[in-house]
Amino acid sequence: MKRTRPFAAAPSAAFTRRGFLGFAGGVAATTLLTACSSGPSGSSASSGGTTTIKIVEYQQARADIMKKLIPQFEKDMAAQGKKIKVDLIADILTDAQFKTKITQQFHSGTAPDLIDTGATNIAGYAGAGYLLELDDALHEWSGWKTFYPTVKKVMKQPDGHYYAIPHEASVQSLFYRKDVLESMGISTSQPKTWDELIGRLKKVTVKTGEPSIVIPAGTAWGGGTWSEGFLPIVAGTGSTFYDAKTGKWKVESKGLTATFELYSELVDNKLLPVQDLLNPNPWEPTKYVDFVKGTLPVSAQGTWGWRYDWGPDGAAPIKDVQEKVATWDYPSLIDGTEPYSVGGGGYVYAVNAKSKSPDAAIAFAQWLASGKPLARQLVKTGAAAPRSGISGIEPYKSEPTLLDAEAKLKTSVPAPVGDGADQVSQAVQDATEKILTGDANGKQAAKSFAADAASLLGNSLVAQ
Amino acid sequence: MSTTIAFESREETERTQGSRSPGPHRGLAPFVVVQRTLQYILIVLLALFCLIPFAWLVLSAVDAHAGPTVQMPTLSLDNFVRFFTSADTPRLLVNSLIISVGATALNLALGMIGAYALSRFRFRGRTTFMFAILLVRVIPPPATIVALYLMLVQMHLDDSYLGLILVEAAASLPVTLWLLKGTVDAVPQDVEEAAWMDGCSRLGGMRRVIFPLMGPGLGAAAMLTFMSVWGDFLTPLVLLQSPDLYPLSIGLFRAFSAFNQVDWGVLAASAVIYMVPPAVLYMVLRKYLLKSSLGGALKG
Amino acid sequence: MTTLSVPSARKRRRLQRRGLLPLLLGPSVLLIALFVIAPAVYSLYLGFTNTQLTGFAARDPKFVGIDNYTYLLSSPDFLGSLGRTGVFVLFSAIIGQTVLGMLAALLLSRKWMRGKGLFGAAVLLPMVVPEVVASLAWASVLSPRADGTLNRLIDLLGAQPVAWLQAAPMVCIIVVNVWRGIAFAMIMFQAALEDVPEELIEASRIDGASARQVFTNVTLPLIRGPVFLYLLLTTITTVGVFGLVYFLTQGGPGSSTQLVSIYIFEHAFEYSQIGLGSAASVVLLVVLLVLGLTYVRLAKVEV
Repeated sequence: MKRTRPFAAAPSAAFTRRGFLGFAGGVAATTLLTACSSGPSGSSASSGGTTTIKIVEYQQARADIMKKLIPQFEKDMAAQGKKIKVDLIADILTDAQFKTKITQQFHSGTAPDLIDTGATNIAGYAGAGYLLELDDALHEWSGWKTFYPTVKKVMKQPDGHYYAIPHEASVQSLFYRKDVLESMGISTSQPKTWDELIGRLKKVTVKTGEPSIVIPAGTAWGGGTWSEGFLPIVAGTGSTFYDAKTGKWKVESKGLTATFELYSELVDNKLLPVQDLLNPNPWEPTKYVDFVKGTLPVSAQGTWGWRYDWGPDGAAPIKDVQEKVATWDYPSLIDGTEPYSVGGGGYVYAVNAKSKSPDAAIAFAQWLASGKPLARQLVKTGAAAPRSGISGIEPYKSEPTLLDAEAKLKTSVPAPVGDGADQVSQAVQDATEKILTGDANGKQAAKSFAADAASLLGNSLVAQ
Repeated sequence: MSTTIAFESREETERTQGSRSPGPHRGLAPFVVVQRTLQYILIVLLALFCLIPFAWLVLSAVDAHAGPTVQMPTLSLDNFVRFFTSADTPRLLVNSLIISVGATALNLALGMIGAYALSRFRFRGRTTFMFAILLVRVIPPPATIVALYLMLVQMHLDDSYLGLILVEAAASLPVTLWLLKGTVDAVPQDVEEAAWMDGCSRLGGMRRVIFPLMGPGLGAAAMLTFMSVWGDFLTPLVLLQSPDLYPLSIGLFRAFSAFNQVDWGVLAASAVIYMVPPAVLYMVLRKYLLKSSLGGALKG
Repeated sequence: MTTLSVPSARKRRRLQRRGLLPLLLGPSVLLIALFVIAPAVYSLYLGFTNTQLTGFAARDPKFVGIDNYTYLLSSPDFLGSLGRTGVFVLFSAIIGQTVLGMLAALLLSRKWMRGKGLFGAAVLLPMVVPEVVASLAWASVLSPRADGTLNRLIDLLGAQPVAWLQAAPMVCIIVVNVWRGIAFAMIMFQAALEDVPEELIEASRIDGASARQVFTNVTLPLIRGPVFLYLLLTTITTVGVFGLVYFLTQGGPGSSTQLVSIYIFEHAFEYSQIGLGSAASVVLLVVLLVLGLTYVRLAKVEV
């Protein structure tokens, strides 16, 4: 007996007339559905008098404090007769992940109105035209006058304009475990030179058998290798790295070579945790485990270490951190220089150039960078105030380490920022990586860095 | 793909032994026994190698206190419950489904009519076309993802279901077209012509006669496309930025790389859930993958 | 073939054909052209520019000729990633998957073997699970902790726990990729083995050939074609592997597992250097093309 339609069973119903139409309809419906709901679009909307602006936070602590501050802002605005609503987008990511993502969003025009990110990232976004120029807004703002000159200097972009409002200032120093060093009988006075410090570090390593200092290096640490590791060291060498007047980078200098040689010396003496630095998320085993345990007692760190990393609500809390941890300025590397700390950006608020409600966004950023809201953020994340007049406001008033850092701002050395910083950062990461893997010594790394940076930056940004 | 069929049917048509045994005595020579045991051991080792990595996934998924390594589980379905009741994880599953089903549906729809045209219409450049799209499949995704991203941004299709679905559907079209063309080729013209005699239009013939007979081919194409889209990692990683749109592949990656906050149990449960739909699809389509005869299609 | 003549109907068909073809094939062609071919061509173009997504250069992408290519071909980093990809393909696809896949195919073609369905399913599982799940499963096996699966196994041999992904990263990803690809090889070889006529094997057996000799002198030559096809397909797939490795190592430690696919991703999306990333993509394509042609040549020579 011949079967006429072997596949006439139920599942083939899809291919009968009705089935086919239903099938095609399904496809069409899915397509329509997805076209309509194509994900949340970037910036603000205005309806019925209420302006809504969006801000994105990618670190948990910052998202937490922002959640608390937003209702206060909305109330304050309402009291002034302005109806503004703020939507917080909390997407917890690493710095590198955020950078990738926000760049894509800026590029496709779907970025939120406000972003909160490290000052070193601003150059790249501003250069590409993603951020709103804030010169006029800042000029008209009475608060801007109270910001410290060093902070303002860092904020000025190579084209002479301002594109972000800082709400933190941090001082980059060497954090160390006072309790651990004292128990080992090692001096905790400010080391004058790196040689002196290396001498102490060697003693520690002999005692513990472990590396004794962590300075961000290599590609796994990403931008941190540049901003927290390399830059502070080279900033104190006295060599010009970036010439703001000409807008060019000097990719070969005594200071650069000395810095690379320092890394090399640390690696050769087994003072740096090389294996950890090569693995993904290198800050975890080093800063969050070994520094906390005390087996790695020295860490290059910014002010936020007090709260964000090792504070009671931090990623890796240290009990009684204020007593156990203290800071040194960076020792001098080159003869004739003095120990120093590096003052720099902390996080800043920047406005999307394509924001539909720029005024509201700017108003929010300014509110956040003033008075009590600012004080609360500083204590939450651990940063010094970028402006005067905050030191008397609670809860900031009761944080001696943060007030200390603020005082240091006046004497700290500014870190060079300029267009092409991202490319230089990449070259630094690659060059220090070579030192970590043993593929190059200090001089070779300096040479390879110079060649790499020059080709990445292109002729227009390199001083000849 | 006939190869899958070959594997299955081999099992069903296991031939009897007997003529191979050397010598007149019953049973097998000791040498052969040793040889066969060795081969059994080999295949067992191979199977174990393939299965052991899954041990952690399965055990941790049902473990109330799962860690990053294999341990005796405290049996509980809590992880699954937490997956479905938490705020953001069910969304991952829904997104994966939307993207995969959408892409597969689109891919099959276009593939069916395209394959019909390729099979039934003789046109200049047909062979070139067939080989061209085969060549196209040679291109590895990382090589085009950068340009693709820029293009989608310009078309305003980035960070959207639609954009991703179109890209995924397009990527699987070459294979689908080849497969389905083969399926349509196997349907003799007579069947269609018979329908035309009955007054069907060309399109009607296509729908009424060809489509119902494409079962196994469609099953295979659906299976391949769905699995390829379902497991895709790079494309959604680059093309999507909103967490609301993340499929399970990206969700699992983000969860895995979070420090100190990895909930291993839920992660394992999510992975198990992630494995389920393709398996279900395979079960459903198995019959179609096996059916290979069109002999009875022609009315006697 | 029935030939009832209804000439006008036939003619209608032929006329209809011209209209139908674009309608039926058009959408597919459009989709493929737009989302598969266009990006490849666009990549070619982008590779000649200095397109970036951040920095002042982003506002005004310029044509820079072959600068990107000269940078890449003299960059130890990129050349290193090419080398690593080559090693990865050689050991996981060409050697590992082929050998184990052939082994599995041969073993499972033994008529006397029981439980073939079960064994087959076990071997199939690594291939059918999503990439990310495969990586996650291996993450626990390769865990540096003392109770990680692999460490537990070597503990039985009295060895100390090892941080596998740190100590031997390339070996690890090669093993994982082999694990993933055995099934595909097995399937292809099973089909090929089936086509080898039983009589030939019987005949050579009767002539006194050992199993090994039968395999090398009878079977192997006959399945050369499918084997080369398999090698071609798996090389292409392996070169395109991204998620499997990225999930486990993100290219690290350092850049020891940075394959070309990861290099492209990092440079284009983490460093926002679209031009450079595209140039690297083009180099990858060229390498694949050369490999593909080589395979085809070799296959032709043998067959």
